[in-house]
Amino acid sequence: MSPDFRRIALIAASLGLILSLFFALRSGDEQEQDAPPSATTTTAATVPPEPTVSQPPVRPKPPPFIPVSIELVGGAPKDGIERASVKRGQKVRLFVSADVTDHVHLHGYDLTAGVAPGKPAVIAFEATIPGRFEVELEDRGVQIADLEVRP
Amino acid sequence: MTLLAHGIGGVRDLPVPDWLFLWGGAVVLVLSFLALGTLWRRPVLERLAAGRALPLGLERMLRSTALRFVLGAGSAALLVLVFLAALLGEPSSAVNLAPTFVYVVFWLGVVVLQVVLGNVWPALNPWLAIADAVAWLWARLGRAWEPLAAYPERLGVYPAAALLFAFTALELAYEEPANPRSLALAIALYSYVTWFGMATFGRRTWLHQGEAFTVYFGLLARIAPFGERHGRLVVRAPLSGLAGDDRRPGVLAFIAVMLGSVGFDGLSRATFWQDLRARLEGRYVLESPGLADLVGSLLALAGLAGCILLVSAAYLAAVRVARAVSEHRERSLLADFLPSLVPIALVYAVAHYFTLLLVQGQFAIPLSSDPFGYGWDVLGTYDFQPNLAPLSPNSVWYVQVGALVAGHVAGLAVAHDRAISILGPRAALRSQYAMLALMVLYTVGGLWLLSQD
Repeated sequence: MSPDFRRIALIAASLGLILSLFFALRSGDEQEQDAPPSATTTTAATVPPEPTVSQPPVRPKPPPFIPVSIELVGGAPKDGIERASVKRGQKVRLFVSADVTDHVHLHGYDLTAGVAPGKPAVIAFEATIPGRFEVELEDRGVQIADLEVRP
Repeated sequence: MTLLAHGIGGVRDLPVPDWLFLWGGAVVLVLSFLALGTLWRRPVLERLAAGRALPLGLERMLRSTALRFVLGAGSAALLVLVFLAALLGEPSSAVNLAPTFVYVVFWLGVVVLQVVLGNVWPALNPWLAIADAVAWLWARLGRAWEPLAAYPERLGVYPAAALLFAFTALELAYEEPANPRSLALAIALYSYVTWFGMATFGRRTWLHQGEAFTVYFGLLARIAPFGERHGRLVVRAPLSGLAGDDRRPGVLAFIAVMLGSVGFDGLSRATFWQDLRARLEGRYVLESPGLADLVGSLLALAGLAGCILLVSAAYLAAVRVARAVSEHRERSLLADFLPSLVPIALVYAVAHYFTLLLVQGQFAIPLSSDPFGYGWDVLGTYDFQPNLAPLSPNSVWYVQVGALVAGHVAGLAVAHDRAISILGPRAALRSQYAMLALMVLYTVGGLWLLSQD
């Protein structure tokens, strides 16, 4: 029983190895194929440049920074938690317009700016630390965005 | 206010990429089958656990009253300092030492000590040191203290499990875990419960049944290459301290809290959980922020409890199957495989928290120079600039996945060793399918949590 068992287990192991190598390598390829386009166009999802009065005019030239804009209605993000992804080293500007008075806090980088109705908060920084960072409406303790800084 | 998972810290790890998740899962499966094919047939851990005694001189020094006194006085002073900082210092985790000390230096740092040096916590435990000092004074005054009540044996370590749950709920479910004032209250409550338990049931009894940190750190120390055997300090093979079973009632609940709380910490950072929480809280945030906080906390508490129940249910199911297929149906096996979960609990903590220890731990250097946040510079380290990116995301991922895989293998090895020592080789092999499935579930589940974005 035991030698048979061992043989079966070893065969199963090698089969498993081959199968998993196949899947792992295949998905690795996909990853690499996916990578270049997403690396160049950094945050397509982040900026639907809305005609808000508070925002700076958008020039046709590529901006020197990645804008991330969040609109808060009733103290909470209008379209759910905003998700943005930038590459390390890029300059980022966070625009938050709100109908409440509070503070916007970017964790990790530990930057804070006041926000009030008609007075949007702007946080400009260079994404030097990789990781994931929560952006929070500090006094109310509401998460409004999740910023990912890729290596 | 903070919504951060794991109590404190602003930098979170990037999710493990999908390809690495698949690789990790594949390696886990292959190693598991290889293990089944090549398993040893005689128990070895029990034999290795004997170890070799440390030189008598070294042992005398380590157990000396002087050292015990210095460590005890030091840790008692630290407890007082941290409590005062939490109670009186500036109420912000950025400038107050207490949150960083409790959640990082103590809660994560002592784990490292325990796994490397063995069970040093009893020598560092400030609650025990203070209780010992009071008992010594009491005896000097010529009085005797009899415990007020006999500890009900069937309670086992359930009180410790309940207190550990309370601590993890504070860390992961409470709305303001890093608020120094909340911590001051928590420290006061915990100290009260601990000393009340010690006075009622006796110091040692409460220490081993109700002091959550003694039970927690004690379980982890069984992995360490140093331990105690027949009253002597020994050096032994790592993991060999996990030989045998753990028949204390409540150990399953305790270990389930260890695993489930870390699992929930991972879950609570996943996108879908954040969105769910934001949706539920968003309804109330404008009219009544307090209610929104309460809703958020209750949701997190439910998630935490759910994770713990899931971990226990999976273990109970695996043990039931293992018993059904082995020929020893009269034996419950429940207590036999509990030690094999300890390495998995350790690597869960390593995978989720080692970057927190590395990054947030550095903040302890400037904070300890100004524990109250008053602008002091007692140690001259006030200006220390922490490095917020000490490791590349790649290295972080490899450590995380590597730790989970290593813990999986260690857990399997301990479970198998136990199975052959109680069931004999043939029944042991059959009982191992269930344990194997359980560990694959825990490990792949842990990997999955790490890969969530």
